[in-house]
Amino acid sequence: MKLDNHPVEEWDDEDKALWEELGNLSTPTPSAESRIRFYAMLDTFQEEAQKENLWDKLVGQWNRVFTPKTSKWAYALLLLIAGAGLGYFSGKYSPNKNEEAMVASEDKVEKLSTEVQKMREVMMLSMLENPMATERLKAVSYTQELNTVDDRVIDALLTTLNFDQNENVRLVTLEALIQLGHNPKVREGLVQSLLHQESPLMQVALADAMVKLQEKRSVKQFKQLLKKNNLNNAVKGKIEKTIQVLS
Amino acid sequence: MTDNNLMLGVKAGNLEKMGLLFERYHRVLFAFLYHSTGQAATSEDLVQTAFYRMLKYRHTFSGEGEFRTWMYHIARNVLTDHAKKNQRVVYREDIQKLSEQSAFTPAIDKQLEKSEENTALHQALAQLSPEYREVLVLSRFQELSYQEIATILATSEGNIKVRVHRAMKELKQLYLKQNS
Repeated sequence: MKLDNHPVEEWDDEDKALWEELGNLSTPTPSAESRIRFYAMLDTFQEEAQKENLWDKLVGQWNRVFTPKTSKWAYALLLLIAGAGLGYFSGKYSPNKNEEAMVASEDKVEKLSTEVQKMREVMMLSMLENPMATERLKAVSYTQELNTVDDRVIDALLTTLNFDQNENVRLVTLEALIQLGHNPKVREGLVQSLLHQESPLMQVALADAMVKLQEKRSVKQFKQLLKKNNLNNAVKGKIEKTIQVLS
Repeated sequence: MTDNNLMLGVKAGNLEKMGLLFERYHRVLFAFLYHSTGQAATSEDLVQTAFYRMLKYRHTFSGEGEFRTWMYHIARNVLTDHAKKNQRVVYREDIQKLSEQSAFTPAIDKQLEKSEENTALHQALAQLSPEYREVLVLSRFQELSYQEIATILATSEGNIKVRVHRAMKELKQLYLKQNS
């Protein structure tokens, strides 16, 4: 006997009933936002891939210009430069008796700095949860002190940008995120944030941010925003100008 | 166009074809991740990560096997990484919510009784070891054949059959405990 293509000869009635019940367990459907997020990610990925292609083309050009005959000279020149560089640095950092001790202390410093970085990150994330707006403002300003910003921090900042009740906190968060504008996830989050913002001040600030980052994908979101009935007139004018600049 | 042809297209540089694969599979993948984690919002994030990785590692798709098998390989890795990152047993919040809902709802009609049974089954599934839960999710919710599951988990069909059988026995015990 087979049940849904699975051989179940050795199963008793209870097993079969449970198998049936298992199949009837409900599964929620993914939200509509899921599709929007995917296509935004795909757009960003395509842009990045195009940039990579450009690099490949440059390498191709190099290979065309430096044919097997000329490449000998090009490589010789490269070797000469590399040799000169190596000579310079080996002269500057000549090995000495304390080399091992230096390496060990460098390792310690590196480890310590990683730990400090982690502590700062944890402190910043917990302060973002603080009910006092001043503490949350401080937390956002701490992001500037982080050497590297990982996904956890970015997610926390984007959540603050979209859902913090205090407008000043949201504005400062936007400023901090603009500084991280090189990160694709941040750019995507900023574009998506346009539809979350109800305050005219935030809408205008985000419009400025999009121009600053030259984020053309936001045009679609701005057009959607223009369809809102309760949109402030000044904001409407600003958005129309922004669309013109970005189109 | 077959899944394999679409994915080979993506591999060749037609990245927009991933959109079609997303339309075909994002619900299926979401269901797999939801039944593995019990968290809807997290599962949506993991679906995004899985599709991102499919784009990033598109060069690893050879076209010899089924796209679906390759996709599940990636989704499983995403799930493992998520579990490691969170350093806790995934499968929590939503199930807890379900449990709270049913705890405060008097089961006066059949529909509510059914909902309670579902909650108990969800909880039993949550308590199952990840290894057992995985084979049940793949075979029951994703309706994959034992052969396909064996390919995804890099083991034999016989092994999967035994694992499903054991998983069902354990699930039954946990479920009875929930109901008692």
